[in-house]
Parts: sequence; structure tokens; C-alpha cells
Amino acid sequence: MTSEPRAFLALDTGAATTVAALIGRAGGRWRLIGALSMPAGADVEAVITALGDRAIDADPRLAAALDVHRGEAARDLPRLEVTSHAPRRLAVVAGSERALAPLVATASRSGWRTVSGEIESMDPLPMATMLLDADVTGILVGAGDPPAADERRKLAELTALIASIAERRPELTIILAGGMAEHLGAFGDVGRRKGEVMLGPAATRDVPGGPLADLLIELALPHDDARRALGTGAIALAEVLDRRVDVVEIGFDGGARALASPGVGGGPATLDLAVVPDAALAPPDPDDSVVDRVSVWSSTWGADRHRLRDRLRELRIAPWSDAISDGATLRMAAARAALGRLAEWTPEWNDRVGPDLVVATGGVWAVAPAPSIALALEDVLRRPGARQFALDHARILAPLGSIPDADERRAMVMDLVDDLLAPLGTFVTPAGMRPGRSAGSVVVRSGGGESRLDLMPGGLALVDLPPGTAGVAEFRFRDRVSLGGRGKHFAIDVTGGLAGLVVDLRDVPLRLPDRADLRGELLDAWQSVLVTGRDA
Amino acid sequence: MTTLDTGLVPARRLIATQVDARFSLAPGDRALVVPGDSVVVGAPIIERLRDARLDELEAPDGVEPVPGSRWQLPAKRGTTAGPTGETMFFWHDRWRVTLGDVADAIESPFAGIVRDVQPGTGITIRAAGRGIPGVVALGGPTRGRLQTGADGELRSGGIDVGSAGTILIVGSRVDAETLTRARAMGISGVVVAGLSSKERRDFLASEARQRAALHRLPPFAVLVLDGAIRRPLAGAVQAVLAALAGHEVAIVTDPPMLVFDRPNLVIPEPPHDLVRIRSGTLAGREGRFVKAVGPRRFAGGVQLEAGLVHLPDGTMAAVPLGDLERFV
Repeated sequence: MTSEPRAFLALDTGAATTVAALIGRAGGRWRLIGALSMPAGADVEAVITALGDRAIDADPRLAAALDVHRGEAARDLPRLEVTSHAPRRLAVVAGSERALAPLVATASRSGWRTVSGEIESMDPLPMATMLLDADVTGILVGAGDPPAADERRKLAELTALIASIAERRPELTIILAGGMAEHLGAFGDVGRRKGEVMLGPAATRDVPGGPLADLLIELALPHDDARRALGTGAIALAEVLDRRVDVVEIGFDGGARALASPGVGGGPATLDLAVVPDAALAPPDPDDSVVDRVSVWSSTWGADRHRLRDRLRELRIAPWSDAISDGATLRMAAARAALGRLAEWTPEWNDRVGPDLVVATGGVWAVAPAPSIALALEDVLRRPGARQFALDHARILAPLGSIPDADERRAMVMDLVDDLLAPLGTFVTPAGMRPGRSAGSVVVRSGGGESRLDLMPGGLALVDLPPGTAGVAEFRFRDRVSLGGRGKHFAIDVTGGLAGLVVDLRDVPLRLPDRADLRGELLDAWQSVLVTGRDA
Repeated sequence: MTTLDTGLVPARRLIATQVDARFSLAPGDRALVVPGDSVVVGAPIIERLRDARLDELEAPDGVEPVPGSRWQLPAKRGTTAGPTGETMFFWHDRWRVTLGDVADAIESPFAGIVRDVQPGTGITIRAAGRGIPGVVALGGPTRGRLQTGADGELRSGGIDVGSAGTILIVGSRVDAETLTRARAMGISGVVVAGLSSKERRDFLASEARQRAALHRLPPFAVLVLDGAIRRPLAGAVQAVLAALAGHEVAIVTDPPMLVFDRPNLVIPEPPHDLVRIRSGTLAGREGRFVKAVGPRRFAGGVQLEAGLVHLPDGTMAAVPLGDLERFV
């Protein structure tokens, strides 16, 4: 009897959803046998037992070959496990508003909930009150490198205040960024503190990522954090597919984006990871801006703001409850609003070369129809170009990303790549078309057949291209458009999916009517294109 | 039905056996206790400044102030001791000290042991007793005799001045006007299943006006047990509250909880298959969980993991597992 396990469990224990996946060796490679998503309050061991029993019911011989037996035996299988952790609070302070803004932009997309203030306009007493709050677990104090004139005169007083806070709360982590490093001496013998005092690079205006963000993410995310593992999982996926991959996650406590590119010319793969607590599906205390954003994306929830706020609070308390009928539409509207916040905190993504593949993951998509997921991502994260969309339906990308050895991780992803991604389809999004007349035409050749469509700006054109099929779409536009590059003629490789091939002829960015009823009609019409297959 | 099947239903804690309540301190507030102190019900634990300010002072000769420590000012004529402040930080040859002229005493609403005191941050007290967790508590820590109020909605006109000093249990819903009236009548607090966002906003605005007033009313708290929409109290919770009726209880805000100290009160565990339907057309109803039935298609074409629930009227209903909860 071999001692090598023939099956293992991949567990993603989220704040709202627990997902267990059974991965087994079949046909000489690892395969996804099955997965089960349950509300987070369910007993994990009961979820695993149910998963094992269902695998046996589906294919008893395969289950026996994998050494999976009915009852509690599945619990003894080896586990790859990642967990979501609630984001902690970081107080961000600076000597001026000009210095503060890039620090907040960096910290807020690096896994931290932030409160902030600058000593120019905030008195020392309210600032001290903010820093002493019990929920604050770290302080980021930064200055330009070298400090600008408007902040330099305030830095000494700021340092005196922060040092006094550090003395009375020795458990706090203190990060001195940029020009604040020269004030390290004010903190005394930092080696004797329980909490670290560390030096970090300066934040850069309009560039929220970079070394300071990397440092803050490292401090924010525990070693077994699901979002940390999502980044390494994205790298493995990009290397296996040899494609640029953008993994987009919306969860209970925040959202994340992991943009991974395979190495070029033997060089290493690259990763941009952003973790944005503000992009949570249902923020703890929904203010007017949250309610406004959700109502924009909803065809049924636009009018009654109080009722919408109540439902958002309920969504926060019990994320899995009320998931049918108008609860389902509320969920999708809240997910789109969260995607919008995620996009706002990661503006630098638009400056990068667009991804070839966008992978949606996270508990919010667990009960959403697959074509709606692709449309939600396309509507909010839109940019001109062509890209495939897929869904990490069993949420195994993060557990696979937690495999410590990169080669082993890559090998596992290579085995499972066809199972882990549910193809949603290809979206082609040209920009710069003139409304009111035909923009041109597209011919799609696939499987020996050919489809021809006339392209009318303003809506969605759907070509039935099932999962597993590939083809070439040849576009001929009347005017020059932006579609990756600028031109009139394009030939694009496309792959099928649950939504097929969608030519998105709407504006970039998307413009929605101000009137709630017209907006609702439009959103419903676009939604029905993907569901019924009729063009809109 | 197996015990494992009920494990798939989200669990919710009915009783917290250990309650560590946190009372916030702002800079300048004075903690009247130290770690290890025993406190009784009503013992003052904090002197909270109303309008704190930051003064610049020179340290007395021979004194080396420490941030976070108390700063003792000289006694004025006719007084035995001077006012105190909180040492903040040293800047430009002077110490910044938080002072205030008027302070309110905050009392402990329950008996317990002080676990931690962090000046300017908070005091943590472990309660002698247990607690019923809620989702949010508005207002401030308070205590009173638990009294059943309305089974359904409590209206403003239904409040009796004879309920002063009590904490009222309201079955399903209450509005802001009723809450402010209850506070004005000397009621110590309200326990309610749901509080809508509008009523919450209006009540908090009223609380803010109260805090700004020179003459303040006694502390008042609203403990919300379930959420923001109208639904009846869970049967298991009602049973515990009924057993506590007539006895002294406390409401704390961090964490949101109803705290009671009745060591002889035996609270039986709810039946392991008793579930409550939290939302949907059967929201508020309770029944026995029969079994998990796997993915089912519900209204709108949504596929969800479901369970069969046997309702008291004898009918069976397939309910999404996410709409169920069981108390543990």
C-alpha cells in the first residue's frame, strides 16, 4: 500500500463562506473531484464529511480508488488550508495634507483599514485620541524623502506626539516612512519594545503600489492568509498559461487584485498585489456613499434608501441569508459597488498592459449566475481590449497558492488548470465608436463554421461560443477604434464560455442614465442578453 | 437525520460564558480602578471629561512626567486636592497635558474583575456572569431590572412611567421616538430584535444632543439582537429573557451584550436540531431540521444548498441553509 496520499482537501475558510474541495489523483494527474461551499458558521468537519459522502455517491469506484470512505474518514485526508482574517486598523499620519494623501492611498490598498490625520489641520488632542483608539494596531507616519518645506516644520512636533503614543502603547507597530526615518532616535531603545518600530520607503504620489505597499501588505497579512496565497497562486497560473492574469476577489472583509505576468526571456514572473478592505461586499456601517453606489447598480433598489441600507446591514450580519429573488439582485449590485471601490483604490491597474485573463474569485460569486459574474467584472473594471473571463468556482486557487515550493505549486496548478477555472467567455471591448450608425462588422470563425454580426454601438452583441471551443474573430470597423492598439481591422483569438463571445459596444467608461427607472431598464436589458442570448 | 447534517446549519452562540467588556477612555479621562481590582455593581470606574483641552505646563521640580500618567495640579484654596490631567507629550520645553473642568462619573453596570487599564484607550473588566450576545448596542453601558415589554412593536404611548429603572424587552421593532421617550421616562434600556437604519440614525442624533446638554439624563442603551429588519425574537433567546425577567441585568456596548449574573440559573442547551428561519417567506419561524438535501433551485433560478425543516404546523419546507441558524 502506497504511503503517498491519493487525495487531499483544499480548504478556504472565509469570513462568510467555507469552501472545501476534494482533489484526487486520477489518470496520472491531480484532478478536482468535487467542492462544497457553505456559510461560514457551519461546522467545517461536517462540510468535509458531506463532501466526502457526495463524492462516494457520485462515483463509488473513484472514491474507493482515492481512499475516500463514507462517514468521518474524509476528515483524515491531508489538507491545504488558507483563512481570511479581518483587516486590522492602521492610523496614518503626516505633517501635511500633501504628504498624507499618498500614504493613505498606499495603506488602504495594502490590507489595512485606515484612519488618518495631518498635524497641519488636526489638533494634537484629536490626533492623540485617534492614535490611542483600542482598534488601532499600527501607526504609519510618513514624510517626503527629503521632506518638503510645508511638512518639515511640523515633523518634530508630530514625532514628539507619536513617540509618546509609542511609549504608552508598546504593542503598537510603528512604521516610519520616507523622511521620518531621521526621527528614529526619538523612539528610544526600539529593541525593547514588544511592537516593532521599522523604517519604510516614502510613499509616491499617484503610485500607490511599490515598496511601501509591499511592506504594509507583509505586515497586514498573516502567513496563512487567503489573499496572500492568492497572489502566489496567480503567479503559478500566469506561468502555467503563459498569460497575463488578473485575479479579482470580492469577499466579506475586503477585496483583492493580483495581476501576475509570466517571466520574459527566462526572467521571473511579476506580481502586483492589492488588498483593499474598503472593497468589502457589505461594509460594517454603510454610509450614504455606499448606499448610493449600490443603488446605481440596482434595477430594484434605487428608490428606497432606508430599506436598502437595512438590507445591506443584514447582508453584513448574515451574508448567506436572503440570497434569492431581490436578495440575489441586491447581492450583485453590492458586488458591483465593491468592485468599483476596488478599482478606485487600484488606479494604477489601468496604466499596466491589460490582462489576457480575468479570474473572478470570492464568496460573493458562490450563488451568482456565471454570465452575470463576467458582466459585472466587465461593467466595472472596463477598459478597451479583449480578454477572457473565468471563475475560480471551487476557490482552490488560494489553497494551491499556499504550497510553499514554487515548482510543486506550478506542477499542481498545471494538473488542475482545466478543473479550477470555469470559462465564462471572451469580452471584446472597442472604444471610440461613433454612436447612431453601424460601427462595422465581425466575422467569427470557429469549428468549421462562421458567424457574421453587424456592430451597432450602445449594446452587447452575443456570439454563441460554448466552453471548450476556440475561434478567431475578425473585426472591421468603419472608424479607427481603440482595441488594445488603435486601428480599423483586428483579428483576435477568442475562446468560448458560459457567456460565449460578447462584443461590448457600450461606452468606456460605462455611462448610465441618472434616472433610476431608465438605468434599471438598461441594466436588466444587458443582463438578459447574457441569460437569453438575445442581443441588446 | 444525522447530527452531522445539523453541523451544516450556521451556528450562533446563545450564551457567552465569559464576558470581557471594554469601556473606552479618551485622553484626559481618569480611570478609577487598576488591574486586579474587584468592582461591584454601580462602582465608579471612570471620570469622563466633558470638554477636554490641551494645556502647556512645566513639570514641577523633581518630577519626571511619563506619557499616559496623571498630572497633578496644585490644590486651589478651599480644596484638599488639585485637579488632575493626563500627561500627553513633551514639546518646546513644556508638557502637553489634557485637562477638563467638568467630569462625569461612569459606573460599572455589573460586578467583575478589572483585567486591563490603558490610559487614553480603555478599561477591560471581566464580568461575573454570562451574556446574551447581540449585533450592536447603541448608547452607553447601563443596568436595570429586566422587564417584558411588548411582544410585537412597542409604541411611544405604551411606555409606563412605572418602568423607570428597568430594561424593557421589545419583541420585534421599536422606533426612535419611543426610544427617546423611554429614556426621558427613566427607563434604563431596551432590548429589541431589530432596529431599522432610519430609527437608528434618529436615535443616535438624539443621543448626540443629549451628550452635548449640560444636564444629562442617566445612561441609556439599546441592544439589538438580530439585525435591521423586523422579525420576532428567537424562541431560545425569549426563554432565557423570560427566566431573567424581574432580575438585574446590564447592557454593554463593547461587545454588544446583555450581561446577567445568576450562577444558579440553569440554561438548557437548545435541542441540537432546532433551527430558526432568519429570512425569506418563512422568516421568524422555527422548526426541526430534518436533513440536508443538497442543491435546490429556488425562486429566480438561484441554486442553493438546502435543508428540510419540519415546522410546528406539521408541514415540511425546503429552506436554503444560509437562511437557517441554530443556537449553540
